[in-house]
Amino acid sequence: MALQTAATACPKHEEDLVLFHYGDLAGAERAAVQTHVATCAGCATYLNELATLLPLTVKSDEPPQEFWMNYNRELRHKIDEAADKPSWWGNLSLIFRPRLITAFGASAVIVMALTFTLGRNYWPTNDNPRDDDEVAVALPVAENLDFYSAMDDLDDLDVLELMSNPSGNPA
Amino acid sequence: MACLTSTQTVHRLRRSLLGTSASVGIAKERSALLDSADEALVALAQQGDRRAFEELVNRHKQKAYNIAFGFARDREDAKDLSQEAFLKAFNYLKNFDGRSSFYTWFYRIVVNVCLDYKRRNKRTAADEFNESVESQIEPSHEPARPPSPEQHVLAGQISRKVDAALAKLPDKQRTAFILKNNQGLSIREIAEMMQTAEGTVKVHLHRAVTALRQSLAEFA
Repeated sequence: MALQTAATACPKHEEDLVLFHYGDLAGAERAAVQTHVATCAGCATYLNELATLLPLTVKSDEPPQEFWMNYNRELRHKIDEAADKPSWWGNLSLIFRPRLITAFGASAVIVMALTFTLGRNYWPTNDNPRDDDEVAVALPVAENLDFYSAMDDLDDLDVLELMSNPSGNPA
Repeated sequence: MACLTSTQTVHRLRRSLLGTSASVGIAKERSALLDSADEALVALAQQGDRRAFEELVNRHKQKAYNIAFGFARDREDAKDLSQEAFLKAFNYLKNFDGRSSFYTWFYRIVVNVCLDYKRRNKRTAADEFNESVESQIEPSHEPARPPSPEQHVLAGQISRKVDAALAKLPDKQRTAFILKNNQGLSIREIAEMMQTAEGTVKVHLHRAVTALRQSLAEFA
């Protein structure tokens, strides 16, 4: 079977001839093409070529019944797999489940409570000086007290000398 | 003893009636699904009714497979492509808003899946020739009545040429041609699936036919 494709259709009618072949022209358009084909050998041959050529391009397949039974089963399996597999945003949303959010919130409250209660006296402030600082403040005063009491003793020594040497002559 | 026997009989009758009514219920439900329009099935499937989606699959699997076969021209590939399209439809069904028919929406998915397949599997003409030679040696999907040797050789040559010519077509021309020539869809339906104007579809179709005609000119 040889295909003769030497026929040349009128360029302005080629597109309409293709639509005419497929039955997509109606009414006045169809009638116009029919009238033209009747008087134009090139377009008539072109139309015959389409009728011979285009069915050859169709490659159809009619699978057996078993094919369709397996088809349904395979598709069901693929859908089940897809339904069970969580999406990326589904995996991300797992960490925002209500139980986890509640657990995190409770933990945060407990930590804050412990911080503001048990940890209150851990950090030093200016209003509560340490014991060493109290000693450092009191020590100079104590030393001064010793000095002043020593001065008092010196005053008493003068009195003691007068008492031991009433003439005031040096020994 | 007679009372026990009658009681047991009543129980047996009750069980059989319940079983019958359950079967009738299931049959009625199945019948309701079969009588439902696509849109009703889609609404049920969007609410999680898997049987409604399976009914949609049963209604459209043949056509989806045929479209995929028109692109892939291989049974296994066509099966995988059509199943991939159904899987996408299942995953994105919640996004279907009913502005177009389910038919148009789903076959648009089928076409896009097939076009992606073609882009992934772009082959050279030499690879296609080698595969077509191998397919003549290996068992293929032959009709029940084998053709004569001359017819078989000519059919093989034409098939290889058609495959090569289709592969060379731009995506939109190939899509318009396959949907029109292989599936017999109307220009309006093709335009809806390709989301383009009907005039554009006609142009794509005309150019595809012209290219195929030139590819087969050597048989003259």
